[in-house]
Amino acid sequence: MSLRRLQNWLTGPRLLTLGIVFALAWSLSRVDWQQPIGHTGGGGAALQVLLALFPPELSQEFLRICVVASWHTLAYAIAGMSIAVALGLPLGVLASGVLASSPDGSETRRRTLMASVRFLLAAMRSVHELVWVLLFVAAVGLSPMAAILAMAIPYAGILGRIYAEQLQDVPAEPVAALRTTGASSAHILLYGYIPMALPDLLSYTFYRLECGIRAAAIMSFVGIDGIGFQIELSLADLLFRQVWTLLIFLVALVVAVDWWSSRVRRSMAY
Amino acid sequence: MSTVRPVRTGEQVAAPEPLVTIKSAAKVYGTNQGLAPLSLAIHAGERVALVGPSGSGKTTLLRLLAGALVPDQGTRSVIINGKSPAELKPGRELASLVGIVSQRFDLVPHLPVLHNVLAGRLGHWTLARSILSLVWPMERRAAQQALARVGIADKINERPGRLSGGEQQRVAIARMMMQSPLVILADEPVASLDPARAEEVMELLVGLVSWNENDGSSQRTLIASLHTASLIRRHFTRVIGLRESRVQFDLPAGELDDAVLDELYDLGDDTDDIEPLAGLAARDG
Repeated sequence: MSLRRLQNWLTGPRLLTLGIVFALAWSLSRVDWQQPIGHTGGGGAALQVLLALFPPELSQEFLRICVVASWHTLAYAIAGMSIAVALGLPLGVLASGVLASSPDGSETRRRTLMASVRFLLAAMRSVHELVWVLLFVAAVGLSPMAAILAMAIPYAGILGRIYAEQLQDVPAEPVAALRTTGASSAHILLYGYIPMALPDLLSYTFYRLECGIRAAAIMSFVGIDGIGFQIELSLADLLFRQVWTLLIFLVALVVAVDWWSSRVRRSMAY
Repeated sequence: MSTVRPVRTGEQVAAPEPLVTIKSAAKVYGTNQGLAPLSLAIHAGERVALVGPSGSGKTTLLRLLAGALVPDQGTRSVIINGKSPAELKPGRELASLVGIVSQRFDLVPHLPVLHNVLAGRLGHWTLARSILSLVWPMERRAAQQALARVGIADKINERPGRLSGGEQQRVAIARMMMQSPLVILADEPVASLDPARAEEVMELLVGLVSWNENDGSSQRTLIASLHTASLIRRHFTRVIGLRESRVQFDLPAGELDDAVLDELYDLGDDTDDIEPLAGLAARDG
């Protein structure tokens, strides 16, 4: 029976795929292809922005502004990440459930704890740092503290969730072997889970620090000094050469962090 | 079946109380019989080999003894030295009672050998002491001595990933020395080693039975699963054959001949007619 075969074939994931394909096709059919994609004169403006790169603004006075802005951006990112790690690691450990996985009962309690911490982490990261920074600026004013806390909260949520998964992914055999030495769950966390997950934990933390630098740059758009704030000032005056200089500083910061993280990871190789 | 023999102890030890008592302990995983109801008594100083094809229940039995699994009949059906390992909280008491060495993948590859060996003390240490030890290793001398005994004192700062299979197994044995339990379990400790390495590792494990960090007086017990008849005859006092999660024979190790072992491992044969000897070992009653 071909109808029966069709029914068997149409499982949940396949239905979902079909639905997405139909939605995509429908949305394409609704696009008005007669309208140009950019506005008139957009091409000329784009060329003007591009030409400003040759050369970017390199006056000593402006470079000094760039260095200070980069320094502030880096400082916010590192301070925000430090708080995020300090919050995210313990929350991640709780969410992973590795502290409570002893063979005796209490499985319900463990699952409840894991689920509630996961919910907390999800809530922290579901609000974007830009929204947090607006809330904090309203609460504490235009202070660096607003940017740092705004970054720390969603980043702790992201780190905690990924840390939890990385801790759950460590090989089970060494953990089981440690358990048979009479070690408690806290001991096993220190001598098994954390050492085995450490390269992954560090690697992801560094990746998030890169994201954090970008986020700190963007957050300063609200008016706290940093690369984003300077970009906004230059853009307002249509000084594209200055914008390029600031973007080069931002790229340099991210590349420097990437270089640092690969150095650290290489020294951790076993 | 001609190989089904009356169950009897391998060694006629006159000890009044067995160190390990298993009273019709069984384990069912879902619909799979991990271990059919089994009763055993093992005395201090015995060296017991468990033989049998894969899936015959050897690992389940060892994990029940280690307290890593709870028997279906309740925790009191496995008793070691008057205590039930599954009832004990992690800590000194459990650590001193029973420990297990596995085939491989047993060490934490990211920690140096020193910390892997010291991990044997975790059951004895407080959390604060364990944290401190990661920075400032505690009981370093004892770890050095244990590594020297297993012949790899020079590897103390290596990562386990750089060691050969035999060397990794020695690190696991050194860790067992640091833990120093009454009953030493070993799950196929020589399965991944060549014959010469297997012989050396077996000697070290057997050496643990009579080894004591203070005076060498106390009698430990070794229960190991393995497949090699020659190793069993040379190093063990008693051999228990398991098949389809039941005891097929229980012999003094010296009486194990290759024919008995061949028959135990024979796959083609129908085993429905095997007498379940499991519940018959009532000599501890």
